[in-house]
Amino acid sequence: MYKKVLAAVNEHLNSEVSARYALHLAKETGARIYFCSIAENGLGKKSFSLAEEAVKRLSHRARELGVESDCILKTGNPIEQIKKIVADEGIDIAFAATRREDVEKRFYARTVSRRLSLALPCSVALVRVVHLGRVHPRKILVPLKARIDHITERARFAAIMAKAFDARLSLFHAAQPLGRFLNNEVHLTPREWETRLPDDIIRFIKDLNSQDIAYDKKLTPGIAGITIAIEAAAKRHDLIIMGASERSLLNSLLRGNPVERVLRETICDLIILRPRE
Amino acid sequence: MKINNLTIEQVLSTLVTSKQGLTGEEAERRLAEFGKNEITAVKGKPLLFRLLGQFTHFLAILLWIAAGLSFLSEYLHPGEDMLTMGVAVIAVIFINAIFTFVQEYRAEKALEALKKLLPFNVKVLRNGKEIEAAAELVVPGDLVLLAEGDKVPADLRLIESNGLKVNNASLTGESEPVLRRTEPFAGDPVISPNIAFAGTTVVSGNGAGIVFASGMRTEFGRIALLTEAVTPGLSPLQKEIMKSTRVVAIIAAAVGLFFFLLGFIIGRSFWGNFIFGVGITVALIPEGMLPTVTLALAMGSQRMAKRKALMKTLTSVETLGSVTVICTDKTGTLTQNRMVVAKLWVDDELVDPSATAAAGTSRLLFTTAALCNNARFIENEYRGDPTETALLKAAQEKLGPLTTQRLSEVPFDSDRKMMTTVHTTSTGTMAFSKGATERLLPACSHIMIKGERRPLDDAGRDDVIHADHVLMDMGLRVLAFASKEVHHLDSSPLVGEGGVGGHPEDIEADMTFLGLMGLQDPPRAEVPDAIRKCHEAGIRIIMITGDGSRTALAIARQIGLVEKTPVLIEGPAFESMPDQELAEKLAAPEIIFARMTPKHKMRVVSILKDRGEVVAVTGDGVNDAPALKKADIGISMGIAGTDVAKEASDMILLDDNFATIVNAVEEGRTVYENIKKFITYIFASNIPEAVPYLAYMLLNIPLPLTIIQILAVDLGTDMLPALALGAERPTPGIMKQPPRKRSERLLSLSLMARAYLFLGPLEAVACMFGFFWVLFAGGWTWGTVLPASDLLYREATTACLTAIVIAQVANVFACRSLRESLFDVGFFTNRLVFAAIAVELLLQAFIVYHPLGHRIFATAPLPFRVWLVLIPFALALFFAEEMRKLVVRRMKPA
Repeated sequence: MYKKVLAAVNEHLNSEVSARYALHLAKETGARIYFCSIAENGLGKKSFSLAEEAVKRLSHRARELGVESDCILKTGNPIEQIKKIVADEGIDIAFAATRREDVEKRFYARTVSRRLSLALPCSVALVRVVHLGRVHPRKILVPLKARIDHITERARFAAIMAKAFDARLSLFHAAQPLGRFLNNEVHLTPREWETRLPDDIIRFIKDLNSQDIAYDKKLTPGIAGITIAIEAAAKRHDLIIMGASERSLLNSLLRGNPVERVLRETICDLIILRPRE
Repeated sequence: MKINNLTIEQVLSTLVTSKQGLTGEEAERRLAEFGKNEITAVKGKPLLFRLLGQFTHFLAILLWIAAGLSFLSEYLHPGEDMLTMGVAVIAVIFINAIFTFVQEYRAEKALEALKKLLPFNVKVLRNGKEIEAAAELVVPGDLVLLAEGDKVPADLRLIESNGLKVNNASLTGESEPVLRRTEPFAGDPVISPNIAFAGTTVVSGNGAGIVFASGMRTEFGRIALLTEAVTPGLSPLQKEIMKSTRVVAIIAAAVGLFFFLLGFIIGRSFWGNFIFGVGITVALIPEGMLPTVTLALAMGSQRMAKRKALMKTLTSVETLGSVTVICTDKTGTLTQNRMVVAKLWVDDELVDPSATAAAGTSRLLFTTAALCNNARFIENEYRGDPTETALLKAAQEKLGPLTTQRLSEVPFDSDRKMMTTVHTTSTGTMAFSKGATERLLPACSHIMIKGERRPLDDAGRDDVIHADHVLMDMGLRVLAFASKEVHHLDSSPLVGEGGVGGHPEDIEADMTFLGLMGLQDPPRAEVPDAIRKCHEAGIRIIMITGDGSRTALAIARQIGLVEKTPVLIEGPAFESMPDQELAEKLAAPEIIFARMTPKHKMRVVSILKDRGEVVAVTGDGVNDAPALKKADIGISMGIAGTDVAKEASDMILLDDNFATIVNAVEEGRTVYENIKKFITYIFASNIPEAVPYLAYMLLNIPLPLTIIQILAVDLGTDMLPALALGAERPTPGIMKQPPRKRSERLLSLSLMARAYLFLGPLEAVACMFGFFWVLFAGGWTWGTVLPASDLLYREATTACLTAIVIAQVANVFACRSLRESLFDVGFFTNRLVFAAIAVELLLQAFIVYHPLGHRIFATAPLPFRVWLVLIPFALALFFAEEMRKLVVRRMKPA
């Protein structure tokens, strides 16, 4: 499925950790990995050399894991350069780390990571690295919306990550609390919630079943963003894999943005996948 | 793979750091990426928005519309007193909003209590140099240096340990310091001995560790996030009040609209209909209900405080009454947390400590109990861990004080489950060990019987295990003891505070098994009765304990917690059990969780809540806080509880006693029953407030009761009597009923029928009689229009109002019980009712006889005879209600 994987690396540790996720995905799928570091004009020599060292370490690790790798060190506009590499090499999926300053911006608008996810013609995995103690995730939380696009790719991506780390997936849907006018919140047991699984989630599960992956599933009423963060913390998940937000700016302002909330509150690493298959 | 599984070299490589620490520049870079090492608040709904929400819910919107229409009416058609009504309606919105907000608002202090557990400054190695830095500036990859007395600033993977012992009490609740090591550990990071967690304290030794998680990403931060972000949702009472206000608002609006349209049909003027429609809507809305509920809850919380249950949130007062499951700790809550040595197994016999002579094997057993022990006897007081204190006490009573020199110690830790000390004694150097039987027995090659050392064969081992089970089945916590002579000691950093010792695996081998001691933590005397009450009240009790299942089961039987064969779940099985399976097990009538830690509690609570249970949970440690927040009622311990647990809970037990929870449940149920009583009382007065409008419209008579007079009843005279009903004592059978069902409504059909179809109409007859009696006595003839300023008209409306107040005096007595006769309940069992009636009558006297009252409420003085004419209606109401109760009792015996 993914034959060529790109990992954007810079002088920051989180980009190296993000590239490690890419490396394991490449190993699982037998893909070739491209570690690329694009030094923006004006970047200090020290920063450039730190990025270079990170690329070297990753390349070394790739060799240890038996993954074919290429190192690309360039200068220029990161977005344009990466876009060009993706097009030239036919990259299937690109990994990039989100910065803390990205998360602090509302709806992470005008950030490099957002621009990358919008501009690249391949699938993009934005990685938020927050916890360095969970070296190989064993428990992966996969929050699912009621309406999912690119179901097949999302299911496969989750399955690949689970296989890569020998991890167990936990599918999670934070449903809108069920209410009626005179009975403001109707209590449903987990089994009752299960009968209300949205169609897209059923299709996602079907796709996952075809990958022969073990998983748990849980439906719970609640506000998506914080409910996901709480679930991840309560069950000690090591990684969250979720889809990119498709809410418009106005919609986000009015109803909030679950992805933004999880980005801010998560206490484990998070991968936001924007599939393009 | 987790950080604790890695070797030190792998740790350094994974975190891209070195034994020289980070460079200052890299630390800054990481600070920018990972943020400060601090506990931060989860972004919630701003306070202002929460307050605004109280002005924009369904009932409030209806009232805003009513106020707006009143002002519009005043503007387009002045002189109908609609301005006053508009202002009054807005006042009602504000009163209700502020009361509800105060009731729901709760300052979050748990986070502040958590922050206090983290240090301000810390020693780190940067560029190979030791520097002191603010703890909040520590970043992943930093090398932190630890010494005795330090607080750990972040989660560290230890790379150096020189007898480093930390106290994890703030995280695990275990008060025993645990030794930290540096070797890779294959298990869960939470129990890994190579990790030092943020918020814990270094008790002794020193060491160094690499930060792998900082701030909210630490285990401590996880607790903070769960404590702050987890919300139990609306309490059952809040949900019921919300439903009730919607029902009432719909009834009021529908009735208003119906009569507005009816007026059109019978040809009344638009403004007449409009004023009527708005008036009847206002009349049917029980404006005083929310403030009265709040005040009743406040009174309930005061009564609970007298019974040693301190309530932190008002709505929790009632929630306690609807609790269906109580998850409780054992030690200190069900039991006294005062350990005593109750039984010994020595020389192949089970004996009482008092019946044992201090000779032979017994002497060595007691000596081991005294020496392999960190409790102390100072100033005539035993100090230390309750288990060790009990052992020391038993040994001293048997042997008197012992003088030896302790050379070294292999400390207890939860992984090894045993400890060893090495001493110089009169017979030479001896090692003494105590610990869990399953850990100590494999370290023994011999057993001492009658003072003679014999080889320990398989049969002997089986005997020990059998004796261990027998003691546990008696509800005792069992410890095994062994000793050996030590011929050679070498130096090891792992053993010996003074560096004298040997490797633990050398010392703790080839030992001589001495015997077992069974320690009892006696149940609290009140607990069996409290548990029986819970069973009668249909409340399930789930014991969650760190003890083994045999001990837990035996204690549960002793206190009457279980009668049949309960479902027993131990910590390790619990961790691997899927939610669905656990949910099925949690449906069992009797269930015990053994070998559990506080971190497991939140999952139990969550699944119980998913099943639709109303859950109360007890807790005292920092890591109990998320479960305390998640539960419908979090109960912390006033004596043994940490500040964090207290701040996260809804109720604090001032005596740490389970029986107090049951008392509080009884109070909670009483509060709910009392709320039903005063809602009946308040709703009943809506009918005599609405009927005058109906009569005004259909009978072409002057309006018998003005809007401001309605508000005088709802927000004035009714308030204190309603509140007094909130102070009624518990009904005798209240703890013999099952918890109320989720489907049971506060505004049930029977309650509404009693108020609207029985009590209300009786009051309506009284008020209309008073109105017409004064009118006709003043010479009024049917069809005569009276202006609002006319004295006769004012007297008549005053009589109508007074009739309602007098009828409400009888009604307050009628509402004191739902089905029991007041003659059985006792007239004087609630003195507050009399005080409230006195105030009610004084207020009415002010309205009727004071010039200011006349000006505000458009009233006029009434002759005394009018009062006398109205009193029989009150008596009729009271006796009619007694008859109704009699019929109910006959038809539905208790």
